Amino acid sequence: MSVLAEAPRIERLRAGPEDGELVAMTLRGNPEAFAALVERYDRAVYHLAYRTLHDVEDARDATQEAFFKAFRSLRTFKPGAKFSTWIFAIAYHACCDRLNRRKRYSSEELPDRADASAGPEQQAISLDEAQRLRTAIDSLPEKYRTVITLYHLQGRQYEEIAKVLDLPMGTVKTHLFRAKEQLRRLLGGAEVTES
Amino acid sequence: MMDPDALDRALFALPLEEPPADLRAAILTSTAFRPAPPFSVFEVAALGALTAVILWLVVLIAMGGGGLFLNTLSAIAATIQSALTNVALLAWLTAGAATAFWLSIFTGSQPFAAVAQRFGRRTSR
Repeated sequence: MSVLAEAPRIERLRAGPEDGELVAMTLRGNPEAFAALVERYDRAVYHLAYRTLHDVEDARDATQEAFFKAFRSLRTFKPGAKFSTWIFAIAYHACCDRLNRRKRYSSEELPDRADASAGPEQQAISLDEAQRLRTAIDSLPEKYRTVITLYHLQGRQYEEIAKVLDLPMGTVKTHLFRAKEQLRRLLGGAEVTES
Repeated sequence: MMDPDALDRALFALPLEEPPADLRAAILTSTAFRPAPPFSVFEVAALGALTAVILWLVVLIAMGGGGLFLNTLSAIAATIQSALTNVALLAWLTAGAATAFWLSIFTGSQPFAAVAQRFGRRTSR
């Protein structure tokens, strides 16, 4: 089966009215339309937040904050834009704020640093495939982890990932390439090096 | 090393994290289904002003200022009476009201209808 045939999650979520139409309906005073948007994206946004923050409570708060901010500034949403990109960008910024706060108050992991937990390969031996992949993703430096998470959520749409992260597309492609290389090494049992 | 296509397949097959059970409800109650406040800002301001006036009257009467209260009332009544018998003032009021009505016809702005509609929507909730 071709990889392209593997529909990204966002595409699968797209049943019913278009996101833009749901936004317009919300702005016309239909709360159910926003509920439909929440239903479509809450899981994906939570996934992004959890993968970025590694904390259930923080991920929950960041997800809630992202939807709250989106709801408050729904009028600024450009009709031609993709709602998924917009909400992911809001969520990503909420996560970055939380990571910065952690930086101020503790010495927890920060962007561009790899997890200190040693030997993900060792942990992965007894776990199933999904868990192994998750463990491997968790061991990536934050910048690669986020790109991989968005790649997972948005498929091969590099432009959308670049918009969410506010990075040049070339940088996104480089990060993704390196992230995948590291993942392949991790899952193949080879030694991982920070690049 | 793992095959690149196999990695892509594994990535796309990876299930999303399961969010907390009450997350969706929490999002909705803080956004689209947020309960409407019992009073609007305007209503709170009006209620506050009314309470202040009542308090002022109660204090005035309690301090034996009944006569002063009556004098104040009669002064207010006299001011209103003189304003309503002032032809120039009445003419300006009429001109203002007519202009507002005329503008509402041409601009499509129907403030009274909007207020009535808003009131109807609130009562129907």
